[in-house]
Amino acid sequence: MMHTALIVDDEELARRLIREFLGKHRDIQIIGECENGLQAVEEITHSNPDLIFLDIQMPKMNGLEVLTETGRRAGVIFTTAYDEYALKAFDLHAVDYLLKPYSQQRFDEALEQARLQLGREPKAVAQLIDTTRTTRILIRDRGQTHVITVEQIEYVEAQDDYIQIHTQGKAWMKTQSLSDLEAQLDPAKFIRVHRSHLVNIAFVKGIERISKDAVVALMQDGSQVPVSRAGHERLRAVM
Amino acid sequence: MHPIFSENRRLFGYLSVWLVIGCLAAALLVVGDYCPWASALLFSLPVFLLYGFVALSAYYVCRSLPLKERRLPQLALTFGATSLASGALLTEAAAAWMSTIAVIATPWSQFEFTHHLQAAIFGIGVVLYLLSIFGHDVLIAFENLRKAERRESELQMLAREAELQMLRTQVNPHFLFNSLNSISALTSIDAAAARDMTIALAQFFRQTLAMANFEKIPLSSELALCESFLTVEKIRFGKKLDAKIVADTDLQRSLIPPLVLQPLLENAIKHGIRNIAEGGIIEVNVTQRDAWLHIVVENPVEPDAPQASGNGMGLQNIRRRCVNLYNERARVTWKQTDNNRFTVELTIPFEMGT
Repeated sequence: MMHTALIVDDEELARRLIREFLGKHRDIQIIGECENGLQAVEEITHSNPDLIFLDIQMPKMNGLEVLTETGRRAGVIFTTAYDEYALKAFDLHAVDYLLKPYSQQRFDEALEQARLQLGREPKAVAQLIDTTRTTRILIRDRGQTHVITVEQIEYVEAQDDYIQIHTQGKAWMKTQSLSDLEAQLDPAKFIRVHRSHLVNIAFVKGIERISKDAVVALMQDGSQVPVSRAGHERLRAVM
Repeated sequence: MHPIFSENRRLFGYLSVWLVIGCLAAALLVVGDYCPWASALLFSLPVFLLYGFVALSAYYVCRSLPLKERRLPQLALTFGATSLASGALLTEAAAAWMSTIAVIATPWSQFEFTHHLQAAIFGIGVVLYLLSIFGHDVLIAFENLRKAERRESELQMLAREAELQMLRTQVNPHFLFNSLNSISALTSIDAAAARDMTIALAQFFRQTLAMANFEKIPLSSELALCESFLTVEKIRFGKKLDAKIVADTDLQRSLIPPLVLQPLLENAIKHGIRNIAEGGIIEVNVTQRDAWLHIVVENPVEPDAPQASGNGMGLQNIRRRCVNLYNERARVTWKQTDNNRFTVELTIPFEMGT
């Protein structure tokens, strides 16, 4: 049975090496190569390959962020040269990875392992992704893809089935639940002040009571974000 | 031992102060109509000269109560008791000396050692001892300050050396392992290119090791290091990466701190060129203006890319090193312009090597 594979690495030689190592595995068909995280997100969503060779350190979006963004957990073979934080996280969750430079033998072992688990979502990878803090968020807007860093986010507002992310006078729409996003962000910096509102404390100027039972957070850009009673407690605890 | 004995000049200076004090005491005797000048001096000079040595004991009294641990009651007790004891000693010594000179010296105009005079001498003794304590305190504080200063400059030297040591062993692991991976890939594609890259990589590390021993190196050495670095990086990033380095031949011998330009190139690749799909050119310009050497590194950045947050560390390090090395006479600034270009400007005093 043929399996499809996607190679993601920003260095051409690194991609060519994987291509070469895959040469003797006749049952693997390479369906594409990506040189950054953004392309990888597009390609994974579009063609859903069986196997992904995924470099961790990449421009625009790193490997883990690609997985967070696409929700992909199965059939991932991580490759990395050296990334202290990633390696620590891998070891912590017992996730297998290829350390560059690697031999054909080591490559074959990792591939064999991935092939055995094909289609299954390894628990270790799921845990790794869940504990990974996002630093960037991908937004698709009329066929264009934008990347914003989490530091740019001022506050987030939940609408019916999407969220609105406010950054420097712009509002970005994204289909995701507020709780999902909240889980990806650093709880020391982002506070759920209301059932439908999340604020970045770096942009909160102050808390103001506007009526007997209505409290708002004053943002640096002048906007007001509603704060619930529980939210008020949480906000006061960190400010 | 008391530090004053370590240097004859200091000891003579100190004793002459006491001779002056002795003269003043004699003057008081003359004014008080106790005796004529000759007798007054004969009486007071030896007594106060001796007391000068006694007053040196204040050094040990001060040292026994370090400035930081002093509490008022303890202080009053110690200083009070020692001054009173010294005052009493002075009075006794004066009395003993007076009866001695009455026997051995002629001509000597005898005068009565009244209670009045005794009390005056006692009072003077106490006050002088307290002054001595005060003077010693100042001396000790001054000495401590000098010691602290010396220690600080020693520490600074150690820190600078440690920094150089660190530079020497500072291998960017990401760069090393990725380069090795590229070589591994090249072995089957283009064996000659693999060999070239191995040599460039080895050369880069050898140059790093060689120059990290120096506080300053000629610009030409740093530029050679940059060439080796770019050779490796150009193989890794292919057509995406290009660099244009412009430096006058007259400036090749000018001195700069080691490993300041190469990290700037690394930065330009990591935060700039690497993120741009079509790549870009890094431009380096080295110029001399009056007494200053300017190094400017400019590179394009991805317009959409978020301003890299981790960016600051490497640049901050270079700034700190230059500012330390040139005692504030260096400036490192960086900015991202509206037309999506990132510029780092380094200004250091112009120095020509031999």
